[in-house]
Amino acid sequence: MDLKECYRRMGGSYDEMMRRMRQEERVVKFLRLFPKDESFALLTQALPGEDWPAAFRAAHTLKGVALNLGLADLAGSSSALTEALRGGEPAQDPAPLYEAVRRDYEAAVAAISALDGAAGGN
Amino acid sequence: MATKEKKTVDKRTVLIVDDTELNRALLRDILEPDYEILEAASGLDAVGVLTSRWAGISLVLLDVVMPGMDGFELLSLMNRQGWLSSMPVIMISADGSADYIDRAFDLGVTDYITRPFDEQTVRRRCQNTINLYAKQKVMENMVTEQIMEKERSNFQMVEILSNVVEFRNGESGLHVRHVRAITDVLLQTLRRRCPQYGLTATQIALITNASALHDIGKISIDEKILNKPSRLTPEEFEIMKTHTITGAQMLEQTPQQGGGNDAFLHVAHDICRWHHERYDGRGYPDGLKGEEIPIAAQVVALADVYDALTATRVYKPAYPPEKAMEMILGGECGTFNPLLLECLQECAQRLKRELDLNSNSSMSAMEIRRVTSELLSHGELTASGRALNLLEQERSKSQFYNAHTQDIFFEYDKELHQVVFSDGGAKELGLPSAAVPLSDQTQREILGEEPLADLLQRLSGATYLDPDIQGEYTLALPGGSRKFRLDLRTLWGSEEHGSFAGIVGKLTPLGEG
Repeated sequence: MDLKECYRRMGGSYDEMMRRMRQEERVVKFLRLFPKDESFALLTQALPGEDWPAAFRAAHTLKGVALNLGLADLAGSSSALTEALRGGEPAQDPAPLYEAVRRDYEAAVAAISALDGAAGGN
Repeated sequence: MATKEKKTVDKRTVLIVDDTELNRALLRDILEPDYEILEAASGLDAVGVLTSRWAGISLVLLDVVMPGMDGFELLSLMNRQGWLSSMPVIMISADGSADYIDRAFDLGVTDYITRPFDEQTVRRRCQNTINLYAKQKVMENMVTEQIMEKERSNFQMVEILSNVVEFRNGESGLHVRHVRAITDVLLQTLRRRCPQYGLTATQIALITNASALHDIGKISIDEKILNKPSRLTPEEFEIMKTHTITGAQMLEQTPQQGGGNDAFLHVAHDICRWHHERYDGRGYPDGLKGEEIPIAAQVVALADVYDALTATRVYKPAYPPEKAMEMILGGECGTFNPLLLECLQECAQRLKRELDLNSNSSMSAMEIRRVTSELLSHGELTASGRALNLLEQERSKSQFYNAHTQDIFFEYDKELHQVVFSDGGAKELGLPSAAVPLSDQTQREILGEEPLADLLQRLSGATYLDPDIQGEYTLALPGGSRKFRLDLRTLWGSEEHGSFAGIVGKLTPLGEG
């Protein structure tokens, strides 16, 4: 799968990403780092124990990474969760928001792992 | 200096502070072609890097949300340390809310970048920020240079004038220098002990400089009276007394020019007219009492008496400093403000040193730096480019010493409450990083309850004059217990503060403990 198709599947914009980062190599390099980032795992750990500050930090970081990598869907869902967790005790049940994050996260990881071995798709 | 700066300019250093590795890697990738990159994975980590390398860092890119010390806390700390005046910070966050952005600018960041950022924006904003600060530094140096030049020539004019008077007195000009030095030390001490006088570094410099003119009125006194080796008759003494009023009149007739000069004339006038007044009202020419006498004149009066006693005069030998102190405290030279007498006693040791030093030096570099830095920062001392250069040289020296010794050196920073070990020292001790925050618990764990109490007890006995401590201690380290000889020197603030500022130390391994 080439990078364009990858972005289509992750619900992100290839064109916008290329405008910002300019080089396909760079984008692919950092996409491949994304599955190793621990924010999602930290988020998944923090929520059941109701460690709200840790969950907020993890969601916030995930949102930042998703924004940097142009993962629009994940950025959207993690942003909603971040806002729900801001300021400690969440006003609404975070579980459905987390589900949305999980779905977008897994879609992104799946698409990245299906990227062509050779960097870029020219 | 220009060439020295160029060397460090070649490739400037940027510190990236972010707890997320991917974010750091992305910024590194964008900036690495143009900059030397340092990374810190937490606020605390960043404090370690900044403490040991702040003079060499041109820019900090700072994430907001981090576990432990977050970006805002780190910013406040950088503010308190005075680092922000020479090191710009750009904040980077996924959070573009007005609330965050306002807070960041309030705390002194230069710029704020929101995620998602693009490569060009990051590169250009980093470049702009660094250029802006570099220009500011160059200009700061130019202003410092000019102020120093102006101060120096002012000082020379005053010195020439007061020497004219001294030569007529048959004295060598030493008296004027001594009175300056004593006035300076007394005022520094007074500033610390008695904030009610509201003395600033600028005022102290002004009074000290004006003190040189205290006797200019003597230009009008007949040489026969001025240099009479025997006791003056009552009539002669009455004539002698007029030098106070004559001096004050000379200054009153000096045309005012506006600005800082008028303040100088004003202080010099007060000193000339009232440096023979006494706290109990029994001085001359006006019989002023207590705080009616301006503090500048009170201080110069005491300095004048102290130097007159410790110097040789046509009518008397020089008394040793101890004897002079005794005579002043015993009221043999009239009554002085009890607060000033306390200051005099406190700085007795320093006076001895300063008078030796000031016998043949003109305005010291320290003095000039003190004034210029105050002028530059409106009351707060900051590190100027010059000071940074000096600091850089010091670092380079200590790195060289460290590289050529088996001993482990460290510094304790009181503000940050942490110990920073020399390059290699941390490795030798098996510590994960060079900066070790010193919680009460860490201290107990490393030293043990009793030795710690012993060390703290000895530290509390250290003073400015007796700053060193030695001993043998066993340290519990990650690799096991080891015995060391510990040499400590306590550091004390500059003369304005004089309070405990930190510790430098050396550990010499003595074998397994």
